[in-house]
Amino acid sequence: MRGESSVKDIGKKHTNTASVPVVFNMANFLVSSVHDMKNSVSMLICGLDKVLTSAEAAKLSTHAELVQMNHEAKRINNRLIQLLTLYKLGQKMYPFDPQPVCLQDFLHTIVAQYAQLLKFRGIHLEVRVNPELYWYFDEDLISGVIGNALNNAMRYTHQRILISAAEYDDQLALRVEDDGDGYPLELLEGNGNVMQSVDFHGGSTGLGLYFSTMVARMHRNQGAQGDLSLENGGSLQGACFVLRLP
Amino acid sequence: MNINPLDISTPAAELNFSGKHVLIVDDYMEMRSIFRDILSSCGAEIKKIHMATNGNEAIALLKKVSFDIVLCDLILGSGKNGQQVLEEAKHQALVGPSCLWIMITAEKTMEAVTGAAEYQPDAYLLKPVTEASLRSRLVKIWAKKEAFAEIYKAMKQQDYSKAMNLCDQRLVADKAHAADLLRTKCDLLLVTGEYDRAKNILEEVLAERDLPWAKAALAKILLKKNDPDAARNLLEEVTESNPAYLEAQDLLAHTLQVMGDLEEAGAVLERAVKLSPNSVIRQKNLGQVSMKLGKMEDAERAFRKSVALGEYSVLRSADAYVGLAKACNANKNSEQALKVLGQLNKSFATDDVRVKALAVEGMIHQQNGNTGKAKQIADELGQSIGNDSIRPDSDGALEIARLLMIAGDKEKAIQLLQREIKNNPESTALLQNVAEIFEQAGMGEEGSRLIETSRQEAMLIMNRGVLLISKGQYEEAVSAMRDAYAAMPTNMRVLLNLAHVIITYMQKNGATSELIDEARQSLQTANELSSGEPRFIRLTAALNELIAAK
Repeated sequence: MRGESSVKDIGKKHTNTASVPVVFNMANFLVSSVHDMKNSVSMLICGLDKVLTSAEAAKLSTHAELVQMNHEAKRINNRLIQLLTLYKLGQKMYPFDPQPVCLQDFLHTIVAQYAQLLKFRGIHLEVRVNPELYWYFDEDLISGVIGNALNNAMRYTHQRILISAAEYDDQLALRVEDDGDGYPLELLEGNGNVMQSVDFHGGSTGLGLYFSTMVARMHRNQGAQGDLSLENGGSLQGACFVLRLP
Repeated sequence: MNINPLDISTPAAELNFSGKHVLIVDDYMEMRSIFRDILSSCGAEIKKIHMATNGNEAIALLKKVSFDIVLCDLILGSGKNGQQVLEEAKHQALVGPSCLWIMITAEKTMEAVTGAAEYQPDAYLLKPVTEASLRSRLVKIWAKKEAFAEIYKAMKQQDYSKAMNLCDQRLVADKAHAADLLRTKCDLLLVTGEYDRAKNILEEVLAERDLPWAKAALAKILLKKNDPDAARNLLEEVTESNPAYLEAQDLLAHTLQVMGDLEEAGAVLERAVKLSPNSVIRQKNLGQVSMKLGKMEDAERAFRKSVALGEYSVLRSADAYVGLAKACNANKNSEQALKVLGQLNKSFATDDVRVKALAVEGMIHQQNGNTGKAKQIADELGQSIGNDSIRPDSDGALEIARLLMIAGDKEKAIQLLQREIKNNPESTALLQNVAEIFEQAGMGEEGSRLIETSRQEAMLIMNRGVLLISKGQYEEAVSAMRDAYAAMPTNMRVLLNLAHVIITYMQKNGATSELIDEARQSLQTANELSSGEPRFIRLTAALNELIAAK
């Protein structure tokens, strides 16, 4: 059913776009497939959300599995969005759009998407932010970055996660910390060269880190540039993901 | 401050849905029902949620019901897309500024943004739309709408100084909307022509942060102040670091055109069109620049695209059809060219467009050696332009003159051109076009002389009233401007000066209803010719003051 609609979206786009080359190359296939998959996954998420918000959902014996499935579908969706975004950035056609954002609202909205899963897994998440804090950034991009970090933290934490935002030295520091065992040494050593951390056998594709680094660097102001760092320790003595934006 | 993520099901500010009318536009039944469920769990009443499956149904519903919230998918089967539905709704005033319009898109794409800023939705929401994401967006936009409601109201009443005061008042405490308030204030200052004040604000903003919109706005001011070089530098900076900021690309192309660098303007538009091919206006601009550059195939392609995109859009223009017809003819396809003109007449059934299309048709016959047919059309046009009820726009008048000059009555052509010069003596673009028409008819020198005398004559008459006012001869000033108006009924400066002398006269001698009506009529005509002139705004404010004091 959604297959048709995806075809519709793609077909529409192509008939309207005089610049689409006649000869299809691999990149075109990859991009349109990603677009197509994203539509299907969106539909899946909406369907699952609808089921999960119904009154009877909690009583279902499969409730736990459904919550987990919903989470995985969202993870796939985020990954697909990141692939599309990276492609568009490469083609210089991503509509980069920094706007003033209220950090409290921003973090609130991100965390809300995970509330059910956090509760379910018994993870305690704390958000520390001054409600008066505003900063300029591309909300869609940065929410992708923080979503990645939060997903990681949820995967490796023992029970506590801390997300914080604060202004420091004319920069915004966004931190996602957990009380897990921390990042592996190779990853910390690879700081600054994210593609080194790609390890297909170990299950890390590096996409998330690559995306986050690209996004950090796109944010510039008055000669300064955003950056990303991975540390161990921090206030929860686990992994500590730090995004700084000028 | 800490947030406990486990009790965040209710957002900080609640949105009250009671009594609110909601419209959902999506061609997929499943999506419609998902949106309906989300909205109803947000508190919307099911019986006040309306649904449409395509653009036409949406427009029909928008005509019947005054909606508070519209959720519209960007891509809707065949016919209008979501953006075109929004354009038409705003164009026909089917939705007011208080209506909250959210466009749903599969991904963040520039193609979503197809045209003019006034036809932008309040937000784009990416799929999947979950209850949490929709709710938090609605709450945020609602807060913004409320913050700006009074400001928009004042703007609608053209009370710009009140709107600016309201911006200042809010700026003191409303941190959340500070950037939008400053931006709105700058827009207002541009509208009222207070360029220096706007420039100061923008420079202050830019000292803090590199903001593309502020740079683009500063470039606009530099253009107004006749400094296209500086505007160009600024815009090149913006487009370099933000290649996807299309408004800046369009402005850069315009700046380059002003500077006479058509080649580069064309290149900028080509790039912008590649990034976002679905803008009716941008494609038309590209067509016009390509045509001037003699790139007829590129011109034909761009005009064709503009016409096709405009099929369901209120932004479609007769100029794109005219351009397409000319380009087809230049590309040796006169049959196609005539067909396009036929379509033009069907799409825009007004006399102004009819005579313009006829002039272009005559020219096509002339160029293809069918001089008999061309002459016949020229004679017909020569008859009908004497008729006062048909008043083609400036562009149309030039088309007619061009044909009359070659295939018809030279005397009449010259008369027509003189009238156009007198109506627009300060437009270099128009004077250039007129010179070109004389040139083509082999009357270059005679033409230059004619242009210069007509222009000087017009300038003299235009300013006579203002001169008399400065000498304190109020009554003479009014009567001089009335004469000028009779001679040049669509001269922008004459219209504004007539209003100006009448208003000054009333400020001195007291207002009467007749004079108020005359001034208002004059201002309205000026505004129809070119809306948003700073002087129009200032004079309207002065007139409103007189009415209030009366």
